[in-house]
Amino acid sequence: MVVQKEKKTINRLKSMYPLRAKVNETYLKSVEAIQAGKPAVWGMLNFYYGDPILKAMDIEVVYPENYGAIAAAMGVAQQYLDRADAEGFPTHLCGYSLTTLGYASRMMKELKGQIPPEAPLGGMPRPLFLMSSAAICDARYKWFQALGRYMDVPVWPLEAPLPGIKEFLIEGCYDRMVKLGVKNLRDFVTFVEGMVGRNMDWDRLDKTANLMIEVNRVWHEVNELRKARPCPMHSRDFWSAMPAALFLAGDLEDSLRLYQDMYKEVKDRVDNHVAAIPNEKYRLVFAELPPWHSLAFFDKLAERGWNFVIESVGYHPPIPIDLSKVSDPLERITKFSLQFLVGYYEEARKQNVLGGTTAYPYLKYAKEWKCDGALLHPLISCRSASTHLPYVSDMLTEKLKVPSLSIEGDIVDLRLFNPEEALAKAEPFEETMDHYKKMRKQAGFDW
Amino acid sequence: MSDKNKGLNRARQIYSNRSQRARELKAAGKKIIGYPCAYVPLEMLTALDLVAYQTCGDMKEPITEADRALPHSFCPVMRNCLDCALKNKNDFLDGMVTIHSCDPQEKTARVWESYTNYPYFHFIDMPISVRPEALEYFKSQLDDFRKTLEGFTGKKLSTDKINAAIKAHNRQRALVRELYELTKPSPPRISGTELVQVIKALTSLPVAEGNDLLTETLAEVRNRTEGPAKKSARLLIWSSTLDDADVMDVFEAKANVVMNESCGGIRAYRADVKSSADPLEGLANYYLNEITCARTFRQATLGETRKDYARDLRSRFGYLKGIITEWKINGAIMLLVRYCDPFAFEMPSLKDYFNTLGTPNTYIEYDYTTGALAPLRTRVEAFLETIS
Repeated sequence: MVVQKEKKTINRLKSMYPLRAKVNETYLKSVEAIQAGKPAVWGMLNFYYGDPILKAMDIEVVYPENYGAIAAAMGVAQQYLDRADAEGFPTHLCGYSLTTLGYASRMMKELKGQIPPEAPLGGMPRPLFLMSSAAICDARYKWFQALGRYMDVPVWPLEAPLPGIKEFLIEGCYDRMVKLGVKNLRDFVTFVEGMVGRNMDWDRLDKTANLMIEVNRVWHEVNELRKARPCPMHSRDFWSAMPAALFLAGDLEDSLRLYQDMYKEVKDRVDNHVAAIPNEKYRLVFAELPPWHSLAFFDKLAERGWNFVIESVGYHPPIPIDLSKVSDPLERITKFSLQFLVGYYEEARKQNVLGGTTAYPYLKYAKEWKCDGALLHPLISCRSASTHLPYVSDMLTEKLKVPSLSIEGDIVDLRLFNPEEALAKAEPFEETMDHYKKMRKQAGFDW
Repeated sequence: MSDKNKGLNRARQIYSNRSQRARELKAAGKKIIGYPCAYVPLEMLTALDLVAYQTCGDMKEPITEADRALPHSFCPVMRNCLDCALKNKNDFLDGMVTIHSCDPQEKTARVWESYTNYPYFHFIDMPISVRPEALEYFKSQLDDFRKTLEGFTGKKLSTDKINAAIKAHNRQRALVRELYELTKPSPPRISGTELVQVIKALTSLPVAEGNDLLTETLAEVRNRTEGPAKKSARLLIWSSTLDDADVMDVFEAKANVVMNESCGGIRAYRADVKSSADPLEGLANYYLNEITCARTFRQATLGETRKDYARDLRSRFGYLKGIITEWKINGAIMLLVRYCDPFAFEMPSLKDYFNTLGTPNTYIEYDYTTGALAPLRTRVEAFLETIS
């Protein structure tokens, strides 16, 4: 690999840091909540569906998926993985799930419910209940069911309907999805009320839903600014800043202000042509989950002029939708959540890209963010974030003449990702991107 | 001596050349619709005179074409199914019906539809829970399926037609259960391998022909004097799918497999579609509630605010207790097809449940290739030694 003399590093956004801090704040709050006799819940990322309910009920939530990434990044995941293996869970299961199962086993069987002392960020306290989700993958409800081995806490499964893009157009399909969603959510509210012994404050829920939608609208606008050339914000800032919008981590009014600050900073960079890296030579889209344990890898690529301008569709806010006329907050929440699942369907149908939720957005990203290439990161233990990647690669090449580089890894098991080997592929891929740039020009594309 | 074109011999022939009858029917003007999973309501196809044909994988077929569409660390059964489709092995199909029974089914469906060009392709969405609103949504999905089927065939799916189809498929379920009754004696009257062949033959035939095959097979098995030999153990196999006779042979080399609780065995036949004023309601209820695949989230009480692990296990696996008692099972094998997440998450809990029943058990994983058979044999033999 040719190492350039000039050192290039990612120019991080100042407005990202307080947003990133919200993750730590959430874990500490959940531990404090338990200590103060307040409930804490383990939740699965649910795409804006169950979270506002818990937020309005003043219940602290921690996300084992997120915690799995933290445990991996801080080097303590391996002992939990080993423990889950010893408990009989197959090693090819989701790395986040194995981390949680190993953690729960250690906490409940070995430490009688006490948080393991080695657990980072104060650890995840014993939950009052578990909120699982059917969205995106099977693991995200089976894994919480499997936790029943270690803790007798009830599980609420949140439904996430996902018809095909063609079938979605059948008259009444969307309305029936909404009906399922609203009823499922209404019963969830009753369940939560029963668990915590108090009633929902519907005015507060109404306000929470609106704030959630507004936070995500501003966050969406921040990412729209990244279409600028040079791109003002790198994927690393996206991943650092996303939890406040995606998990609703922290106080929502505060989050709204912080995303507005971020918008201003990014807009200022756009206006002044300030890039996220010193010399943007290649613009790339990243799919899907990053190697949390090896994020410095992106600094190495930044040194080569690789700017990651868009990424991880599953972490992006839904395309904004006007829900101001929907008076029932549960219906508003349901429609906002469904927008994440089916928001790209209409465009995907027009383009005949049948992977409407997972594959099509990458075509849109590559085209509108003017990407030269895609870096795909198939994960050994996360099939939901990997399955569509060969199809994405095929579609990007066929429809947009955008090439892909696939680098295998894992979200938790750092042994499966080799940054040196991955970096060795950078130079030949640059030649590929140069080649496809010419092909795009010949095909009449404008980048 | 048994007729070579009837009963078990015919099942064996169909098993060995599954698409032959479908191709004959196609040549005679019938429309053939493929489906990859036991959750597709076949009654709706039968009611419109469509022939349902399960698109299975072929363990002996090396995967080459599916590599461009699906990653390696993915359900090998679905990779194999798709591979066969991309190699045009199902070129007689007029359409496909897929369903969101699990992630691999959903993800493969998108790719399958993208890379093939059948005149008809429909995807049915399926909720994960058995809550009332989930059932209502699933019924509406079946109604959407009805609409596209009617559009494809140009025929109306009347209540009478669908009720007649439900009756025919319930008859098939009852006949399969009768066949499994014949594994209760010791030695069983029919082997696990023969049952795999019969069940797989059923998934290749129109329901009426399947019922004829079952009737012949039942008569033959009841009357035959030479059946399987008595082996050292009577096994229950619990799996997502065990539909290959070569795999079953590995288990039956030294044991009698008297219950195949998988989609290649009794799973899709253990209950009936109940009659209801709205047949789609009956179908929705059967397919969402009655098929005991690990993909469905079950709990002791809907919306429970207290949980008890023992009750939870009974709600998820309680149906196995009766099987263990009635079939006098003395060993259970949890057979995992690698990368099958819904079943993989169940393994430690199911082990707990088997342990509460005092049933010796083991967990074995394989990757749905012929290369997996030798290590599988070693694992099975080791388990049989521990329980003998």
